[in-house]
Amino acid sequence: MSLSAYVIRRLFYVIPVILGVCFLIFIIFNVVSPDPTISMLGKHATKAQVLELREALGLNRPLYMQYVDTVKSALTFDFGRSWSTKQEISEMIKQGAIPSITVTFPAFFLSFIISVALSLFVAFYRGGMLDKSIVFVCVALMSISSLVYILVGQWFFAFKLGLFEISGYEEGFPYFIPYVMLPIVITVILGVGPDVRFYRTVMLDEIYQDYVRTARSKGLGEKTIMFKHVLKNAMVSIITYVVLRIPFLILGSLLIESFFGIPGLGGITLKAVNSSDFPVIKAMAVLSGIATIIFNVITDVLYVVVDPRVKLE
Amino acid sequence: MAEKILEVKDLVVEFKTDRGKITAVNGVNFEVYKGKTLGIVGESGSGKSVTALSIMRLIPNPPGRVTGGEILYRGQNVLDIPLDDMRTIRGNKIAMIFQEPMTSLNPVFTVGNQIEEVLELHQKNLSKQERTDKAIEMLRLVGIPSPEKRVQEYPHQLSGGMRQRVMIAMSLACEPDILIADEPTTALDVTIQAQILELMKKLQDEMGMGIIMITHDLGVVAETCDDVAVMYCGQIVEQADVKTLFGHPRHPYTKGLIESIPSFDSTTGGEKGRLPTIEGMVPSLFELPQGCNFQNRCAFATEKCKGPHGEPKLEAIGSGQMVRCFHPLS
Repeated sequence: MSLSAYVIRRLFYVIPVILGVCFLIFIIFNVVSPDPTISMLGKHATKAQVLELREALGLNRPLYMQYVDTVKSALTFDFGRSWSTKQEISEMIKQGAIPSITVTFPAFFLSFIISVALSLFVAFYRGGMLDKSIVFVCVALMSISSLVYILVGQWFFAFKLGLFEISGYEEGFPYFIPYVMLPIVITVILGVGPDVRFYRTVMLDEIYQDYVRTARSKGLGEKTIMFKHVLKNAMVSIITYVVLRIPFLILGSLLIESFFGIPGLGGITLKAVNSSDFPVIKAMAVLSGIATIIFNVITDVLYVVVDPRVKLE
Repeated sequence: MAEKILEVKDLVVEFKTDRGKITAVNGVNFEVYKGKTLGIVGESGSGKSVTALSIMRLIPNPPGRVTGGEILYRGQNVLDIPLDDMRTIRGNKIAMIFQEPMTSLNPVFTVGNQIEEVLELHQKNLSKQERTDKAIEMLRLVGIPSPEKRVQEYPHQLSGGMRQRVMIAMSLACEPDILIADEPTTALDVTIQAQILELMKKLQDEMGMGIIMITHDLGVVAETCDDVAVMYCGQIVEQADVKTLFGHPRHPYTKGLIESIPSFDSTTGGEKGRLPTIEGMVPSLFELPQGCNFQNRCAFATEKCKGPHGEPKLEAIGSGQMVRCFHPLS
């Protein structure tokens, strides 16, 4: 079976998964959640007002039709309008995605490169002082609350030293850079600790494999062994770990965005949760579900590329 | 007399462990000749693999370290060579194949790629095309059918026997002087074992390398080796040419090993129909006894073996036979 045929077949499997995701979301938002009209109109609304609003929101339609609507919105990306701002949700997503991506993508690539390089390095000097110190630093970085990084970063580096903007965002290419620097640095610091530890374990698993001994007996140098033989084998595990994180990049980070006033999807989600803006929350849930599914498929395809043992069946 | 290519002198290898230092190889001497096969036989933990790895300088350090002796390859002590120069010997002059053909090849590279890698390293004058051709030729040499196709396959697409053939092809690609085979057939089916041993013998006749055959299987020794060293607790306890060793073993341990080979003739030794075994256990390297290391399992042990005179020395007995025993069998 060719790779493209495999991809197409794999995409067919996506259909029932999307239907399932939509069903779960539909159950949560349309069946078991409390009547949204109460929070929207307050306790003292008249019966007529409530009925009118329910009609307007489409909540009086039969349940199966509401499910069909959910699926339709997932496929067309038309999620209707926000209850609180009355904006087109698809428009909100488009606007919010860019600020989110300007923070998460650079942070993702930076921390990926730093983590892989550092873990190769510590795996190379395994057991030595250098290895132990780096692992110690990683654990220390992981153990500090992210709030500490945010507060210290904003107060010391942004406020005292004036290296970055404290918070806010400006659209357009070079303008956003001073605003996203600090969030990126903090995201990288938060990611590097656990990543290095995980990649290091993966690489050490590989280093003690028999094929590494064979490579040494062939006369290969340690560097070639690490960068060629060990890295390619370690990539199989690393890819799953990394690719499945990409969907969350698009959605942005709730914490970072709200602290730094970045108008990304994370911030939008948080605001929607606070104001019970169901269609927006639902849209985010659908979006993250679909993104996860798609990147799962991508992971499977990458497996085939990296690991020849994976058969296309 | 054939040309001497490798000489191991008083080799001592120590390992540091949590429970203290152990001496895995303790004063081992042997020689390897061009076109000849030396067998090193012993149970697990007798130090035979460690001996082999120290010739390649592949002892994992820490915890292991060669603390004494010399390994002379064509007169040059490989233990003194800088590591970078050692790499020009590994895979090129001294090659090694391992016990586990299933895991000894890198799963994510094609077998062709892995053979070409050795050539790229040691035969820099070859072009890419020449390397591929040579890889195919090597696969053909080790009896892999349709090598043009196989060269592009990954290890998991080959059977265990085929993979061991690939390992042999890879190790012999640079026509080394010495091939160290560490239990090359242990993980294979018996029928495949015989094929692999036959193949190694045939390639030795063609290429003339010296082979160090490390095994716990005396059957393998009888079939392939010219000389044999029997190891026990890090020491050689008996050394002789293969005929003498099997015909006239002088160390009780060697005799025990030979008797415990299953045979159709059930009248030899022990109760009728029962395979004789060597009673007892190999002593832990942490608690080696005073005197002879084999005393607790030896039917002939006397007070002398238990310590007062120190441990027995490896001494010549008859022509070319050496034995480490106070009471060698007659």
